[in-house]
Amino acid sequence: MPAATLDPHLKRDRVAGHEEFPVELKERLIGKVMDDPRFPEYLYGCYECGICVAACPSARFYDFSPRRIAQAASRRDVELMFQQMQEDIWECSQCFSCLRCPRGNNPGGVVTIMREVAVKEGLHTAKEALAGYSRIIYKIMSTGTQVSPDMLQPDAFPDWGPEVKDVSENLDLWRRMLPPETLHTTATGWKVADRTLVELYVIWLETGALDMIAQVDKGIHMILEELMEEKLEEEGIEV
Amino acid sequence: MNERVVVIGGGPAGLSAAIAAGRLGAPVTVVEKLGYLGGRPIEEKYASLTPHLEDAEVVMNRMAADLESCADVEILLQSEVVGVSEGNAPFQVTIQTPQGAVERVAPAVILATGFQHFDPGRETQLYGYYEFPDVIALQDLEAMLKEGSVVRPSNGQPPKRVCFVQCVGSRDRQIGNEYCSKVCCGVASKEATEVRMALPDSEVFIFYIDMRMYGYWESQIYWPAQEKHHVQYVKGIITEVLPKEGRLLVRGEDTTMGRPMEIPMDLVVLSVGMEPSFGTRRMAQMLGIKQNKYGFVEAQNPPLDTVSTSREGVFAVGTALGPADLEDCASTGGLAAARAVARLGSRVGG
Repeated sequence: MPAATLDPHLKRDRVAGHEEFPVELKERLIGKVMDDPRFPEYLYGCYECGICVAACPSARFYDFSPRRIAQAASRRDVELMFQQMQEDIWECSQCFSCLRCPRGNNPGGVVTIMREVAVKEGLHTAKEALAGYSRIIYKIMSTGTQVSPDMLQPDAFPDWGPEVKDVSENLDLWRRMLPPETLHTTATGWKVADRTLVELYVIWLETGALDMIAQVDKGIHMILEELMEEKLEEEGIEV
Repeated sequence: MNERVVVIGGGPAGLSAAIAAGRLGAPVTVVEKLGYLGGRPIEEKYASLTPHLEDAEVVMNRMAADLESCADVEILLQSEVVGVSEGNAPFQVTIQTPQGAVERVAPAVILATGFQHFDPGRETQLYGYYEFPDVIALQDLEAMLKEGSVVRPSNGQPPKRVCFVQCVGSRDRQIGNEYCSKVCCGVASKEATEVRMALPDSEVFIFYIDMRMYGYWESQIYWPAQEKHHVQYVKGIITEVLPKEGRLLVRGEDTTMGRPMEIPMDLVVLSVGMEPSFGTRRMAQMLGIKQNKYGFVEAQNPPLDTVSTSREGVFAVGTALGPADLEDCASTGGLAAARAVARLGSRVGG
């Protein structure tokens, strides 16, 4: 179905600072999003009621609205979806609080699909959005874990709420009160069992997750690929 | 004494009442001003009925057949009630028929004179209904759907982009109709679905204040229209329709997106509401029963007695009472029939 909003008479906000893309490219990319087998189960129709926004932590701190994601997708609005794929989707924290939608929509899931398409297609904005995460990607993909609680800066993530500051003041005490057996710190958090690493590496390679990294950071991709292949070779596993 | 239940009006509510009274064994006289039974759905050439999309003609013909199968039923077509006796029931009802005036004795009269579609030119010329051929109303589109040909009246071509404007002549203090007409959300969604099925390449928009899909209409009409047929629901009412380069520019606000919009359309469908029909106003006056400020008959003991009027022995049903869907017509018809039959002979109650 053609996009209603390709019409020049329909006023909309212009996205400042982004290069212009041909309509065909936008339609192809948004087509990929809508053709994703998950899409029909992530998006039915939108009441535009805003319950997802009320539940969304990111919406409180950024100019992000899961309702607008669902609305644009529900209306098959190619222009707006493409605009969101350039900006909005990177402001979602993927917590899926929006799943409380009465229509059974999953705006966070739509964001997931849009992110995947943005990354796979090597959109400049995707690279930009992920540029600051090279170290995190490296740590997660090489060890399967990234942070230990003692690494957290109390004011790093405003959408985690003001309690983070209180908690971090007596972090050690809080953690002793909670059930997890491991009390990982930066000293121990990245020590991962060989068997776990092998399984992780097979998953990253088999699912194409590692290939996606190549689109956003060639350097990190090269390092990770080498690391993984070496480890798997040691174990006598061919992928 | 040959007492009969007199039903004025042969539409869905009148037929429901007459069939129910007939099946209870009562002698029934149906007075219909047109030359056929079926009421608005037939007169206005509705394609299908909401919510199940059954063929309107088939359903109404079935009701007419049900009525005719009753033991003692008299159907007076092209006939009008021209006089009702003063005082208490039983009433002397004078009916003008093509063969001349006849008199019937009625312990109960059921008023089923229905509604008419709001006229978008009634107060001011809303949305250019009488100016632009491609601005039509719900019933005009029904007639097109019945013909099996949805086209722009201006050029006979199928429209690429169609929109419905909700609440035309309803919920409007300036118009004077402050009520919701109850069925237009469902009917517009039904017609939007039918347009999408007939013209799969078309885009169909519904501009609304809020969608009022009560009960099962939600999953019967609204969700499929949006999810399966991709009808675009936009919260925001069109302020005006302007001609532009052979199309119609509709102006409004996309309220949930927080931006003004101007979209060229090929066909604009006004979701006109309900008003008391001329027959409802005139018969209510003749019977001396109370009408509300909008001209509909005022039910005296709502909500649990929906059919009693201010005059004992006179009942009102369907859209003579106010905006109603077909289920309302059937239920008020059945209730009025029971109350009317209870008044026959010595069984005076109701």
